[in-house]
Amino acid sequence: MKIVVAVKSVAALDDEFELSSDASAVDPDYLEWDLNEWDGFSLEAALELREAAGEGEVVALTVGAQDAEEALLNCLAKGADRGVRIWDDALEGADPLAVATVLAAAVEREAPDLVLCGVQSSDAVNGATGIALAGLLDLAHVAVVRSLDYDPATATATVERELEGGLVELLSVRLPALLTIQTGINQPRYATLRAIKQAREKPLAVEDLAALGLSEADLATAAGSRRRALAIPDRGDGAEMLGGSVEQMAERIAELVKERTG
Amino acid sequence: MPRDPKYDILFEPIQIGPKTLKNRFYQVPHCIGAGSEKPGMQAYHRGMKAEGGWAACCTEYCSIHPESDDTSRVSARIWDEGDVRNLAAMCDRLHEFGALAGIELWYGGPHAPCMETRATPRGPSQVASDFELNIFPRYMDKDDIDTVQQMYVDAALRAREAGFDIIYVYGAHAYLPFQFLSPYYNRRSDEYGGSFENRARFWRESLIKVREAVGDDCAIASRFAVDHLLGPASIEVGEDGVRFVEHCDDVVDLWDFTVGDIAEWGQNAGPSRFFEENHEAPYTKQVKLGNHTNKPVVGVGRITNPDTMVAIIKSGQYDIIGAARPSISDPFLPQKIDEGRLDDIRECIGCNQCISRWEIGGPPMVCTQNATAGEEYRRGWHPEKFHPAANREKGVLVIGAGPAGMECAMVLGKRDFSAVHLVEGSQEIGGCVNWISKLGHSDGKENLFRGSARGLGEWQRIVNYRQIQLGKLKNVEVHLGSSLSVEQVLEYGAEIVIVATGCHFATDGLNAATHAPIEGADATLDWQLTPDEVVAGAKAIGKRVLVLENEAYFMGVSVAQKLAGEGHEVHIVTQAADIAKYMDYTLEAPMLHRDLHRLGVKVHPQTMLEKIEPGVCHAYNIWDPSHKDRFEVDSVVLCTARISDDQIYRELKSDRARLEAEGIEAVYVIGDAAAPRMIVDSIFDGHRLAREIDSPHPEMPLPFIRERRLWGNSGNGDYRAQLLNTADVAVV
Amino acid sequence: MAGVLVVAEARRGELREVSLELITAARQVKSAAGGRLAVALIDADAPAHAAALAADGVDEVLTVSSPAPHFEAHIAARALSALIEAERPALVLLGHTIDAMGFGPAVAARGRLGFASDVVALDWDDGPLVRRGAYGDKLLDELEFPERACTLLMLRPGSFTPATPAAGTGGAVRAVELPGLLDDARSEHLGFREVQAGDVDITKADFLLSIGRGIADRDNIPRFEELAERLGATLSVSRPIVDAGWMPSARQVGQSGKTVKPRLYLAFGISGAVQHLAGMRTAETIIAVNTDPEAPIFGVAHYGAVADMFELADVLEAKFA
Repeated sequence: MKIVVAVKSVAALDDEFELSSDASAVDPDYLEWDLNEWDGFSLEAALELREAAGEGEVVALTVGAQDAEEALLNCLAKGADRGVRIWDDALEGADPLAVATVLAAAVEREAPDLVLCGVQSSDAVNGATGIALAGLLDLAHVAVVRSLDYDPATATATVERELEGGLVELLSVRLPALLTIQTGINQPRYATLRAIKQAREKPLAVEDLAALGLSEADLATAAGSRRRALAIPDRGDGAEMLGGSVEQMAERIAELVKERTG
Repeated sequence: MPRDPKYDILFEPIQIGPKTLKNRFYQVPHCIGAGSEKPGMQAYHRGMKAEGGWAACCTEYCSIHPESDDTSRVSARIWDEGDVRNLAAMCDRLHEFGALAGIELWYGGPHAPCMETRATPRGPSQVASDFELNIFPRYMDKDDIDTVQQMYVDAALRAREAGFDIIYVYGAHAYLPFQFLSPYYNRRSDEYGGSFENRARFWRESLIKVREAVGDDCAIASRFAVDHLLGPASIEVGEDGVRFVEHCDDVVDLWDFTVGDIAEWGQNAGPSRFFEENHEAPYTKQVKLGNHTNKPVVGVGRITNPDTMVAIIKSGQYDIIGAARPSISDPFLPQKIDEGRLDDIRECIGCNQCISRWEIGGPPMVCTQNATAGEEYRRGWHPEKFHPAANREKGVLVIGAGPAGMECAMVLGKRDFSAVHLVEGSQEIGGCVNWISKLGHSDGKENLFRGSARGLGEWQRIVNYRQIQLGKLKNVEVHLGSSLSVEQVLEYGAEIVIVATGCHFATDGLNAATHAPIEGADATLDWQLTPDEVVAGAKAIGKRVLVLENEAYFMGVSVAQKLAGEGHEVHIVTQAADIAKYMDYTLEAPMLHRDLHRLGVKVHPQTMLEKIEPGVCHAYNIWDPSHKDRFEVDSVVLCTARISDDQIYRELKSDRARLEAEGIEAVYVIGDAAAPRMIVDSIFDGHRLAREIDSPHPEMPLPFIRERRLWGNSGNGDYRAQLLNTADVAVV
Repeated sequence: MAGVLVVAEARRGELREVSLELITAARQVKSAAGGRLAVALIDADAPAHAAALAADGVDEVLTVSSPAPHFEAHIAARALSALIEAERPALVLLGHTIDAMGFGPAVAARGRLGFASDVVALDWDDGPLVRRGAYGDKLLDELEFPERACTLLMLRPGSFTPATPAAGTGGAVRAVELPGLLDDARSEHLGFREVQAGDVDITKADFLLSIGRGIADRDNIPRFEELAERLGATLSVSRPIVDAGWMPSARQVGQSGKTVKPRLYLAFGISGAVQHLAGMRTAETIIAVNTDPEAPIFGVAHYGAVADMFELADVLEAKFA
């Protein structure tokens, strides 16, 4: 069984940050990179499926610059068999549809039984790349999966889709398919120091657009949007901050509680 | 990051007499166990705070004459030129960092038993001290008064010579000047007793004389307990308190306010389990807010929160934020506020471990949050500077994220180890602190005195601080919910393994008093519990409970408080002379006793259990075992021995060949897993190992400087030579 | 291509309110986009909701009767693609909802449409101009869609006020026939599961005391249960508490939990992830307690206290004997 896990190295913004000189992006000095929280869960789901099957291959795939290598190594350390990183300078600032186009070329080459993505990334929060990818590959897909049971005999995944309002839908889908995985589905494992060291010995391919048979023009055709500007949001009035000691704050809150709940 | 403008007010300079404080952060006089006879410790501990941005740092109480001798408690002394030279080291160091140096001139009177000097203390009346050994003073006639006032003057002259900028005439904590002021001590009928003005005369004259001697060069300060907390029998803030401030306002450049005395000075150095931040405000704020002074005011109250500090100044409560314990916990508090690094502040938890060592008399100070407190000179440790370890390319596995493990992993991380994994079996970081911090509550009601049992919640800051720091260290990974077997540890890939797996309570009554289990003790039964089980709440506890406390600190009594607060009938039994002995030293005892009494807890000291049966505990008096007692109870809590959880350490050590095959070069054990101890010592243990992990034999602590007389000629070089590991010595 | 196509949503027989929010958004740009506003609903029982969707400004309601009893992502995708081809709108609006996340991006990708999701503001400048959060809402991204004849946007629920549903009289309704839709289904619905009934319904509470990640330990929860009781509040939680298995999801406030609108919402140790704020930002009075002064929740709260939640809770509890 071959599972491709599409992962993302996400940037966390320091409290203090600056925009680049042309205000088109955040100055990279203020970014900290990590494996996207959702992808830890989808990788774990893939590893558990491989363990249950007793065989198989888990491939970690990412579109990202050199900064993203760490996240990929993290996946390899946790148990992915192979890593693939795709990058081209033209991919800087790429939107979900452009990324999905690039991923589609890579996934097509892998021809997996299952593709797992996170529901969303913590920095861009588009919640779209996975399903866009499914659309391009014409794969059966389910988004926002909170539990996953796989029956190899029928190649069927029985999943729960997490809906608004605490409702859950149970449905089944036949593989090949693409699922976007929600946090809390499992307990992601940690990698030991040995595994981290050995991760560097696992295959990690770095490729550009040309290697996938794509051109910059293809990206332009695929892109769904273009950034016009990046702005710091107007906070509005925000909260009236209570000052003083904890005692004084509690006193004020108690007053408010009594007022508001009469 | 730039400073948040709302804190600008804390960085405004302020004039005190002829001196200027560069900001509002002021380290008030406090003890550290250094005095004048450990000048290195004195200079480097105070100096660390100056480096961290405090505008002024003061000595501890500083004896002006051999008649004021508190041995075995360590005070500073300024009796002679040798003391001048030693204390000058402190002044020089403070000045290097732009801070002012303060000295708290002290004459203790009957509160200071003179055990070393064998002199006779003097006092306003022959009223025995209410503190400790009930010493009597010699009555001071007019000649004696002149003599003692001259001691202040001579001391002040020496202080100026040493380089001090701020010179106190110290009368808080019921020391001599206060003894004259207060009718609780002063029974005189001459011009130094009786009316307010008479009682104030000694103090005012002393201030005037000191001022005349050094006032042009130095700021004259006075530490004054505005309220003795004894009601009309002594000084009350609304009466003689504010009156005294008005009376001496013209001869003081800086007021330093406290409350209470020395007999129960926990009302001033309030532990967090009974007192909230800024707890002295109801008393001390009355002075400025009542317009009784035109001079700058500094005050304390375990103030740790920058927002509270701003509020205090803006509300007119104080002009200057005084701190002892918050400055010990984080000497770099001012700098961190200035740099917008609020989450790097290591907040004081109000455990009073620092104070406890002085109370015991002799040992150097310690701090639960700041393992470098007291170690600045003798080990050369700096709280914010860590030298990259020589062996930092080694991978480190720390097993257990309790106090020792967290501290060790954090320091290793700060020492630039390439990869540190802190692996914790439970879902939370913090270890025993997580459940211990839930204790300390009783029924939430007002105590008989001030305050109520507000719990040990502030102790959770031990975890908060380390969790944040560990999160910032890119080279440290924290794994939760990951319980490693010996096999997994062997295959982990770490060259250094550090076991920090804590300890558990004995379930069979094994205890420090008899070194044996107790017949019938079995905390696996559902009607017997260990303290952690009480907090966990899984076992039902019957109405009548007996708590056996053989541990001399907070655990047994805290369990008793909790259960009594929840409505149980509680008996505490201890073989010791009294319950919770160590809490005498942390100043938590008086409020604890009041709470236990109010809750109706029955305390049975000097009593030990010999047999536990369902429904009945059989006890005996330790002085006469044939003197029996029986307690009819439904549940029993055994707060007895703790036993290290060191199995994984023993197993790892047992197969050297395997360790070598797996590339594990060293295995260490720290904290409770090595030997059950107080949290402050577990954190120190983890810290020390990490600081010395690249020494030739890390398991064995390196020598530290002992400040002692060396026979023959000796200089500072001889002291420095005692340190072997000069690489990590930032400052010596 | 011109005009706006709104894709409404229904679930288990009920029209979802986001549908009406989309209509408001559409009306804002309707004339700039070419004047026509159509609302489509792909549902087993689409005609039943058609009348309500014919709000002011809506020119036509298009109903597609889905052969599947419940939402099926592939049917929805195919149906939407077909509608876009037939109606040729310049702008397609979906809600950024769980259902829409299941097919919207696929339609946009296959159709090489302009695309943006979780959009909070919509404008028009020779084409749609939108704003969405970046870096978890620390920044705002302004996006445009050059050279796209049609753009598909997914709008964040709660960003636009819901249009008043039509009274049920008039407004053009047209049934769109799309044969063969069932063949497009690629998943099988097996059932729904409510979260445990018998637990408290937090959407009905007037006063919610909510705890979040700051609680740090399951064992700290009883303390706050007690506090809630003392204060007369119902206890609710944010997502991490439910993820950890410490509280049932019935107590969860947030996008995947319940949306609540109590008179008073008192939050302890909740930083304010967008998904959580989505569930409570319309509460009448919001008081937030957090040690992080930059916590996003302070942006929506009416009162904030930067303090340790445990310390403050203890002091607060004492005031409600």
